[in-house]
Amino acid sequence: MNQDEFAFRVRQALNEGAERLDYKTVLRLEQARAAALARQRRASPATVRLPALQLAPAGAPPLASGGGARWLRGLGWAAPLLALAIGFVAIGHWQKEAEIRRLAALDFAVLLDDGPLEAYADRGFGALLQAERRIEP
Amino acid sequence: MATREELSEFLASVERRAYKQALFAVRDESHALDIVQEAMMKIAENYGDRPAAELPLLFTRILQNAIHDFFRRSKVRSTWVTLFSALTDENEPDADPLDILGPTGDARTESSETRYEREQIVAIIEEEVAKLPARQRQAFLLRYWEDLDTAETAAVMGCSEGSVKTHCSRATSALARALKGRGITL
Repeated sequence: MNQDEFAFRVRQALNEGAERLDYKTVLRLEQARAAALARQRRASPATVRLPALQLAPAGAPPLASGGGARWLRGLGWAAPLLALAIGFVAIGHWQKEAEIRRLAALDFAVLLDDGPLEAYADRGFGALLQAERRIEP
Repeated sequence: MATREELSEFLASVERRAYKQALFAVRDESHALDIVQEAMMKIAENYGDRPAAELPLLFTRILQNAIHDFFRRSKVRSTWVTLFSALTDENEPDADPLDILGPTGDARTESSETRYEREQIVAIIEEEVAKLPARQRQAFLLRYWEDLDTAETAAVMGCSEGSVKTHCSRATSALARALKGRGITL
């Protein structure tokens, strides 16, 4: 009998011994197994990266993946800022136009008035106009 | 990833052998159960998400580490010194178990067993396995009971494959000699 054969027979004997454990020991082993299973580590779920919420024009095609999607995401941030800037420029332009119209109306009124232009530079005439304005209502 | 059922089946298949191995090492039923429970907890908590095929080797390593940790915690230094000193077996380390067992041992065991006698023999074999020096017993059980190959056994024991072969050879010789001394031939 060589070493492997001898070891095999010892192994058989050890297996027999392991199968003849007393009830109490078997019960403890089962309890230990149950406790271990209750704490089994689970594989962590794969992380899914969701695209940020963004506005899209009506009828726009779905977002493409890859470089196109990145470009569209950039546009999603830039478009509102661009619209805001355009809005400020438009409001400024409109205010300037309104001021020009107001001054033009004033100039027109002054030129059409019967009084001499020097009268508007006179402090007393200005005080008279203010007094008349207070009385009128 | 090992499912709960796979892990449960695996633990059920190894728990008795694990308990016996721990018992051979620490020689105390309560401590042996604690060690097995600790090993089960560790494999479930730390490696429960690994493929089922990896579990046997992982569990073997965890169990061996748990046994080592037990001795470390218990500070049974003297035990280790005694066991390690026995590694240098002065009695013919290269002895062939064939010479000790004799040619007729095989037939005797196969032909004349009653259940009671067989139980007695198993008990004696377990006693003698438990008496082996720790490293010899560890190598012998990992190699021949847990079915690890020489490289895996060496990795678990943290030694060279040559050392594993030497430990196994000496364990076999010592076991055969001890059993023969008690009137048992396999």
